[in-house]
Amino acid sequence: MTFHLGYGTNGFANHRLDDALAVIADLGYTAVALTLDHHHLDPFADDVGKQTEQVATRLQELGLRVVVETGARYLLDPRRKHHPTLVSEDQEVRVDFLVRAKQIAADLGADCVSFWSGVGSPDAWDHLKSGVAAVLETGPSVPLGLEPEPGMVVERLDQALRLRTELGNPDLLRITLDVGHCVAVEPQDAAACIRQAGELLVNVQLDDMLPGVHEHLEFGEGQLDLPATLAALTGIGYTGVAAVELPRHSHAAPDVAARALRALRAAQWLADAERAVRADPAAIDTLFPAAGRAVGAGQDAARVRLLTAFADVADDPADGLTRLYRYGTSAERRGVLCGLAEVGDRAPAAGVALVEDALRSNETDLVAAALGPFATRHLGRHAWRHGVLKCLFMGIPLTAVDGLDRHSDAELLRMVAAFADERRAAGRPVPADALALLGKAS
Amino acid sequence: MRIFDPHIHMTSRTTDDYEAMRDAGVRALVEPAFWLGQPRTNVGSFVDYFDSLLGWERFRAAQFGIAHHCALALNPKEANDPRCSEVLDVLPRYLVKDGVVAVGEVGYDSMTPEEDDAFARQLELALRHDLPVLVHTPHRDKQEGTKRTLDVVRESGLAPHRVLVDHLNETTVKMVADAGCWMGFSVYPDTKMDETRMVALLAEYGTERMLVNSAADWGRSDPLKTRKTGLAMLDAGFGESDVDTVLWRNPVEFYGQSGRLELEPVAAGAVDAATGSSVLRGER
Repeated sequence: MTFHLGYGTNGFANHRLDDALAVIADLGYTAVALTLDHHHLDPFADDVGKQTEQVATRLQELGLRVVVETGARYLLDPRRKHHPTLVSEDQEVRVDFLVRAKQIAADLGADCVSFWSGVGSPDAWDHLKSGVAAVLETGPSVPLGLEPEPGMVVERLDQALRLRTELGNPDLLRITLDVGHCVAVEPQDAAACIRQAGELLVNVQLDDMLPGVHEHLEFGEGQLDLPATLAALTGIGYTGVAAVELPRHSHAAPDVAARALRALRAAQWLADAERAVRADPAAIDTLFPAAGRAVGAGQDAARVRLLTAFADVADDPADGLTRLYRYGTSAERRGVLCGLAEVGDRAPAAGVALVEDALRSNETDLVAAALGPFATRHLGRHAWRHGVLKCLFMGIPLTAVDGLDRHSDAELLRMVAAFADERRAAGRPVPADALALLGKAS
Repeated sequence: MRIFDPHIHMTSRTTDDYEAMRDAGVRALVEPAFWLGQPRTNVGSFVDYFDSLLGWERFRAAQFGIAHHCALALNPKEANDPRCSEVLDVLPRYLVKDGVVAVGEVGYDSMTPEEDDAFARQLELALRHDLPVLVHTPHRDKQEGTKRTLDVVRESGLAPHRVLVDHLNETTVKMVADAGCWMGFSVYPDTKMDETRMVALLAEYGTERMLVNSAADWGRSDPLKTRKTGLAMLDAGFGESDVDTVLWRNPVEFYGQSGRLELEPVAAGAVDAATGSSVLRGER
């Protein structure tokens, strides 16, 4: 069994909870991270028991697995975001809320209640510990997932693990990991964090992020290696919920959620495909062609990863590259040419033959892809210059040519100047890229 | 009028044709693998042809805003040449590609044992690769050939709705309709259907599971026959929605069973295709 892809209801803040659950399930998610909030199953409502029962029924009808999240912004204090927390003086308000959340989680059959520490001074460590202990001791027996949150007293995985150790490793205190946070503040990548958390992982939040910036981004907008992250979850045998966490995208929630699932499925496919190729390099024969429909727009990058996996394990990478190119569609050939930048140094003679073949073609994509970093390193100067000139002929922007500024030489400039003269003699416009190249040289 | 030509051999056509097709409303097409007039003499000749259908021809079509797909197979005529039939061993490598939306053209030419064998093996490949099948029916002895085709399809275990039986006419349409397969009609001067007879068949059999193609190739043929048939339908009192069913929705539904239809043409590379009417070779 594998883990369950879900979506966080805090990313559907402008939807009724019932509607949000339906949209999430209809898109194909099989889980939901339910953030308790004033309009989404308010834990302070008089009829919270009845409401919880209805939500439980709804989740069951829709086939959604659930975790309970407690990061609502103004549920406890209408003026101060997230206040009070476990590091505040009035910690008991937060403890009371978390205990209510445990009861709701128990009634929903949720995997856990996820929570964070709070913004405050590191001196509040002991105060925090006593708060966590109080939540653990009170109410039903439900696992708690402590989430390291950038800017809070517990912001990294090692701090969460230390707090757990200091509390005597209580079985019900486990870890929630937001993989975007890993990119932002952890010293290691998300996959390494997942492996470090290991069996203690009880809840996962999925989003992209840039190093040092705590801003939840859609997949592909930051620096998260999503396929490697999902592969790590599979690798540790994680079977819980992994839910997309985009709390600032509610204005376009259905579209964002659809995009996220497409990205997750593509990444999952790629993670599985890389694993299959590493286990049996021959698998690349069927996976390399399928990457286009499995991954869509990111197919070049996906194919480069497959080639990297292949080159790591294949007995004869040169033969494999040649075969994939020989029997490839245009898109597959482009993938092989892009991949030469990464793996071509292990098969330089074969790589050069493929680049030369692509430069003989008249497909703009192939010619452009042929003139990447591999060609700069290995292609003969004469052929490389003709490749550049061919780009000018075919209207391919010279930005496609790797290292043009560094490798332009007098002979290339002579050829380009002659080309420009020929154009002028025919009364045709000279491409701006040609003029720019000549202008830089003069 | 949006048009999906479910059977046309663009390899044999000019850029003028592409331009005229685009102007006529053609936005997507399927080019099935067939013989080239000049017989092939070796497997390599097929491999280059398959590459061309997946590469160069797709690229060419994209320059005119037309989504190009193909069906791949060993055609029945060349299945009789032992120098060519080994292409069946190479075929599986190609059936996994993007842009391949069916196995085809398969079927009968002279109804020989060699054709029996190639037909059956390729139906099996279609099953294994989860692809629909485009079946050519013979020019000679068409009724007997169509009957035998339907028998072989039935024995193959392929569901009838996964099969398009093509080049039908007044004498063969009923048995295919009864079998539950999709029905293809080539509106092709002199040798196959014409617009008027086509409209009469549509009036008699309705528009469900009916496809019209130009089958334009290297012979005297007309890549705009799809549109001309659409216009003839309108003249005869069919509604625009009926025309859309026959010329767009039906081919999309049939080939869509492959899961590989991509109705936006693959971007024509790094070049702005809007500026050139022919393939870019430095003439701008």
